[in-house]
Amino acid sequence: MIDDFDKLSVTELRLRGMTSDQILAEQKRRGMSKQQIDAAWFPKPPTYNRIRSRRFRRSLVVATYCGWLLAAVVIRLVTPAGQTFPLIPFVPLANSVALLLWFARKTYLSREVLSGDSGLDERLVQNRNHAFRRSFQVFVPAALTGWVASLVCIWVQPGIEGFNNAVLIFLGATLLGTTLPTVIWAWREPDPVDSN
Amino acid sequence: MAPPILNRIAVLRTERGLTRQQLADALEINYQTVGYLERGDYNPSLELAFRIAEYFELPLEAVFSRRPFAPMSSQLYRKEESA
Repeated sequence: MIDDFDKLSVTELRLRGMTSDQILAEQKRRGMSKQQIDAAWFPKPPTYNRIRSRRFRRSLVVATYCGWLLAAVVIRLVTPAGQTFPLIPFVPLANSVALLLWFARKTYLSREVLSGDSGLDERLVQNRNHAFRRSFQVFVPAALTGWVASLVCIWVQPGIEGFNNAVLIFLGATLLGTTLPTVIWAWREPDPVDSN
Repeated sequence: MAPPILNRIAVLRTERGLTRQQLADALEINYQTVGYLERGDYNPSLELAFRIAEYFELPLEAVFSRRPFAPMSSQLYRKEESA
């Protein structure tokens, strides 16, 4: 039997040649409770705390949204009349890259969409739920307004111009919908404390 | 708005020489949450409040209160004098 059984994870025990049945049998023999066995087999992912100051996060949010707004204006200005936006395929791509960068930070502020409740304590679950509820409240009127505005664009400007503007509004709504929960949470979370 | 719930978590933690991270690990919460509890930025659920009190091996009312706490030392002396 492996001496440091208690200190090793299930994955490490498997690497040392124990089968799943042997590990489970040994855990039961040692009198581990169901919760302890569950925790050993399905460890909670770590929650990261690199959330920076509230001031930094708010600046990042403003910079992100202003950047996207600026990109929309530039795209609109550089597109010759009567043509579809040459940059349209790149906008969702740029959005995906930006979102991946947010998620790659692996803090609880950006993991909540992907991770469910695992790794979040009761305060973080509450804040995550609040962020989603508030985003829904913001997103629904914004999306409905955008929907009406895009219809007006197509109706007032028949042809490619109206289509272009409607596409820009649609992309704006997509950006808003995909980023709002994280942004609202990042905006509200207080300044971090020291781990000591 | 509900009145704030005051607590002695910071004092108890310091008294036992624990870091926020160590206390957070013991309570299975994030250390930011420990900090916000200490600051009074977050009120715990009843379940977490009991877990904290049990961890410090104290009754709930010794850790949490609706009214400001008297210093622990003066409470101790008062008890000794009356005994």
